[in-house]
Amino acid sequence: MSDDTSSRYINRELSWLEFNQRVLDEACDPTIPLLERLKFIAISGSNMDEFFMVRVGGLQILTDRGVTRPDPAGMTPAQQLAAIRQRVRRMTADQYACFMTEIEPGLEQHGIRRIRPEQMTERQSQSAAQVFLNDIYPIFSPLATSSADDFPRLINHTLNVCVRLAPQAGDGEQARFAVIPFGRGARRFLTLHSEGGYSYMLLEDAVSMFADRFFPGEEVLECTPFRITRNADIAIRDDTASDLLADMQDLLDARKTTDCVRLAIAAYTSPELLAFLQEVLEVPDEDVFKQPGPLVLSDFMALTDLNGFDALKLEPWPPQPPVDIDPTVSMFDIISQHDVLLCHPYDSFDPVVRLIEEAAEDPDVLAIKQTLYRTSRNSPIVAALARAAQRGKYVTAIVELKARFDEASNIEGAKLLEQADAQVIYGVKGLKTHAKICLIIRREPHGIQRYIHFGTGNYNEVTARIYSDISLMTCNEELGADATSFFNAITGYSQPRRYRKIEAAPTGLRDKLIEMIEAETKRKQQGQKAHIVIKLNSLVDPQIIEALYAASQAGVSVKLNIRGICCLRPGVKGLSENIEAISIIDRFLEHARIFYFSHGGDERVYISSADWMPRNLDRRVELLTPVEDTAARRRLINILDTYFRDTKKARRLLPDGGYEMIVPDAQPSLSSQETLYRAACDAIRRTKQSQLTMFEPHRASE
Amino acid sequence: MSQGLEDVQPRSAAPKPVAVIDIGTTSIRMAIAEIDAQGGVRVLETLQQAVSLGKNTFTTGRIGKTTIEDCVHVLRSYRQMLAEYQIVSPEQIRVIATSAVREAANRLAFLDRIYIATGLQIEPIDEAEETRITYLGILPYLRSEPALQTGKTIVIEVGGGSTELLVVHDRNVLYSNSYRLGSLRLRETLEAYNAPEGKVQEFMESQIERTVDQILEHVTPDESSEMIALGGDMRFATYHLIPDWNPKQLARVPLAALEKFTDRILAMSEDQLVRKFALSYPDADTVGPALLTYVQLARAFKLKNVLVTNTNLRDGLLKGMASDAVWTEEFSNQIIRSGVELGRKFHFDEPHARQVAETARQLFDQLRSLHQLEHRYAVILYIAALLHEIGLYVGFASHHKHTMYLIRNSELFGLGRKEVLLAAIVARYYRRASPQPSHEGYATLERDERVAVSKLAAMLRIAVALNDSRSQRINNIRCEIKGNRMVISVPNVQDVSLEQLALRQNASMFEEVFGLQVQLRALRGEAG
Repeated sequence: MSDDTSSRYINRELSWLEFNQRVLDEACDPTIPLLERLKFIAISGSNMDEFFMVRVGGLQILTDRGVTRPDPAGMTPAQQLAAIRQRVRRMTADQYACFMTEIEPGLEQHGIRRIRPEQMTERQSQSAAQVFLNDIYPIFSPLATSSADDFPRLINHTLNVCVRLAPQAGDGEQARFAVIPFGRGARRFLTLHSEGGYSYMLLEDAVSMFADRFFPGEEVLECTPFRITRNADIAIRDDTASDLLADMQDLLDARKTTDCVRLAIAAYTSPELLAFLQEVLEVPDEDVFKQPGPLVLSDFMALTDLNGFDALKLEPWPPQPPVDIDPTVSMFDIISQHDVLLCHPYDSFDPVVRLIEEAAEDPDVLAIKQTLYRTSRNSPIVAALARAAQRGKYVTAIVELKARFDEASNIEGAKLLEQADAQVIYGVKGLKTHAKICLIIRREPHGIQRYIHFGTGNYNEVTARIYSDISLMTCNEELGADATSFFNAITGYSQPRRYRKIEAAPTGLRDKLIEMIEAETKRKQQGQKAHIVIKLNSLVDPQIIEALYAASQAGVSVKLNIRGICCLRPGVKGLSENIEAISIIDRFLEHARIFYFSHGGDERVYISSADWMPRNLDRRVELLTPVEDTAARRRLINILDTYFRDTKKARRLLPDGGYEMIVPDAQPSLSSQETLYRAACDAIRRTKQSQLTMFEPHRASE
Repeated sequence: MSQGLEDVQPRSAAPKPVAVIDIGTTSIRMAIAEIDAQGGVRVLETLQQAVSLGKNTFTTGRIGKTTIEDCVHVLRSYRQMLAEYQIVSPEQIRVIATSAVREAANRLAFLDRIYIATGLQIEPIDEAEETRITYLGILPYLRSEPALQTGKTIVIEVGGGSTELLVVHDRNVLYSNSYRLGSLRLRETLEAYNAPEGKVQEFMESQIERTVDQILEHVTPDESSEMIALGGDMRFATYHLIPDWNPKQLARVPLAALEKFTDRILAMSEDQLVRKFALSYPDADTVGPALLTYVQLARAFKLKNVLVTNTNLRDGLLKGMASDAVWTEEFSNQIIRSGVELGRKFHFDEPHARQVAETARQLFDQLRSLHQLEHRYAVILYIAALLHEIGLYVGFASHHKHTMYLIRNSELFGLGRKEVLLAAIVARYYRRASPQPSHEGYATLERDERVAVSKLAAMLRIAVALNDSRSQRINNIRCEIKGNRMVISVPNVQDVSLEQLALRQNASMFEEVFGLQVQLRALRGEAG
């Protein structure tokens, strides 16, 4: 990619698209097993869907209303849209090329086959007909349509088939259309009989194959799958496009009735059918995407779990039991001896779940307060909190209902908690509660003790197996006082109090970060060593970027490890030549936010729930927590360094906003995720070995 | 495992959770803390919610209906928070209210409404009590800070409705007073006068100047004097001027920097302050006038620096509750010192008075489970015991009544007017008639106070009887309750017949009040 390098910032949409390109690059990497590559194809597809829904949709509204205010990178909404469309077309072409010429044929060689109607054996046709009659025909209903007036309201992102029927006698040459919408829960892959391996038919093929049965006595001229992307509703946009929202507030009411931002359709569509859909959906040519292969590639995620194809998958790296956690000792005893730092998913998330479960059962625990953002279905943490409340403990849960896509399981959890008499607070007005913190108040012989878990990821034991995140468990007095103040503030028990150690958004987080960055700048100016290392998902906030530029200009060495969007332009002479930025895309989703400041030798390390985006710093409740325990801090610094030694999955951000793979100086190349995983395995192996050299007798309990 | 002994006399080593709530002019603040067996205080939580009590009282003289309900809402939420810590019984919670409630015409209706809605009993405290509490909070600094060991220390807190001033030298309080100068009061006066925008600061300065002149009449700082400033406004300024201030220590803020900051604050509108400093609106309202007052005081005292402490009224209140657990609190010594001084003024028998007071203290401590009185009553009893005979200065006949009015009309540092009155009444009942509804003073007391007076007077009479010999020979006593008797054992004394005789006369009130007969025993040759 190359854009206008004269600007101080990289446009955030284009930067995001480059992130998705990196995901796609993984799909194209022939050294990765095929089903993993398919997974990356699916992820890049669902990423793109969300991008269109929240970002492109917003920009379209701005453009339609003639808003021309440029973004920090100097691009107007219309310019951004044009650049996005161009980039997306290239990316989509790459995506399908990869899928159709490499992954699909590759899978076929290994026995995972898509069977098209014309390829079917007699037996397969019979079973396809059976499936159609039993599962499709009774449920799917075709809706005849001739104009925008009677066009059905389609569900966002789900697949439909548009059927073109031959004109009826007396009707002139008027083409007739019908839409068959697939429900949200429809199974996309229909298993067919096969001699070894796995054969499937796509649902749209089945529908097309037997479409004439829906229209007895009519002639079906064509069946074309398509789907639309709608503008996100306000609840979602509020958080993910709040920067755009500032301009949109009063425009939203006047929104068009059709709000289709993208029409994706099979490339083999006839011009008549496409023209009809464009007309009724009011989609201009530039928002039409003709796909040469199956639509909704994100659905292919379902195939990646196929049993029996382990050779096509990566060797699993199961989470390891953390070494400093003895499973026979209570979490409270462990934490009261020393802070516990966990690096998920290499370190198992179980100790965090165990802490909350123990708290629920412990007779001395008085209260548990916790934020819940995205919990899993049947979350053991929610269950433990409900149990605690039933036992008469004071349980306060701050449940964020606005968490994207997870509303359903969040609401379910919240209901369970309310039934158990927990105090459930549905977020803070006007803000989204994104902080990850759990506070347990326990009465102990020497007084009240507070146990706190601070995290960078959600309280979700399922995603904790695939997201890289940090957990800090501590009973530090000052952090306990801060955690208490934090909960009092967000639950409305008190005005925000001054924190002793932590910092929170939206009140003081940005100021604190800028203060830390500026302190490095000052130190450098005074001739001291100054060094900043930042690991984030996204860096967008212009104020912080300016502070980093100033640091670079003073000579501070700044290392950025930013998985997703990075609007900072690194390595530009006179602006940012001391800033290096990399991005890691590998099997686990990089999610931890870790910040390091050399602070004149008195090193400061923080973990945080917040990305450095205006929405996180201004419109979310977020936390920044110092890690002061020496061992924990060393470990975090080590982790940060490991990423910068990655020569396998790390890409370097170039001054023009593009990325290049980092070429290893020496073979073999090093993968940071693998290094961290092996380190976790080695640690537990060593511990087990040392246990073998010392026998521990079972004693009668005292 | 168990040695058995501990089981006989259980002593709870676990810290006691307590809470103090302070209903101020602009906010209701709460501190939740633990007090350990040594009287150490560990603050667990501090909460604050804004209310407009001061705004109501200082403009209309009354607390408005919506403000009352706001207070109910805040206090209910605090109660909920307290329940989490299992802080539910009244002796664990102290709720005080300062000038905004004290001066409101409808304060009784306010107190009743809060009590009905939340079960919390608010104690409106007077200026003297406020100063006493402030002193308790500041004590640790006076002890530990070398800069404050030599000269006079002027402790100042500019509140919303009043300014507390305390002059301390060598840990002794030389002078204390409360002035009707407050940041919110200033604001409201300004609004009442409708001062034009450009004249606001000038107007405030002249208002403050008047009080400063008043203060200078009583306080003459010397070369080595220091000024310690308390209060949220000053803390706010300090955090901005000294970002890495460790709030556990005193901060030294140069006056020049404080002046500059104050000018900057005064030049900003309320909205600007809220946006820029994330202050609450009530705080934004008062911060300017408060800082200006500190600045003018520091100038008047010719100081180059102002010391700032993070301690506050709640800390003092907690210290007060903590001294419930341990008697050896510096503050008590201060009160006793002022009591002794008062006694000397009236030529009291000092050795005897101290002895009676000491015995009374032992009785109070050892009979805690019997009388169930809060610690402040221990101080009242002690003062009553110290001063029970000062009426003799007037004449012997009815000298207990002289005692009463002498105490009642005296200033005792650290005691509020109510406490002084209680001490005076307790001292009056050291002899002769038991309390009667017709007795002056006694009749004005609340029911629980009347009960407390009876209990204290009953103990005082025992203490007096035990020292009937005036030889100070009974130093230690041991009280035990056995059936319907309270047995006092006196170790290392050969013969207690004199005291037994005195008791026969003096114990009847104890028997009436507690339903226990008093028995005195000498424990010969036994170690105390």
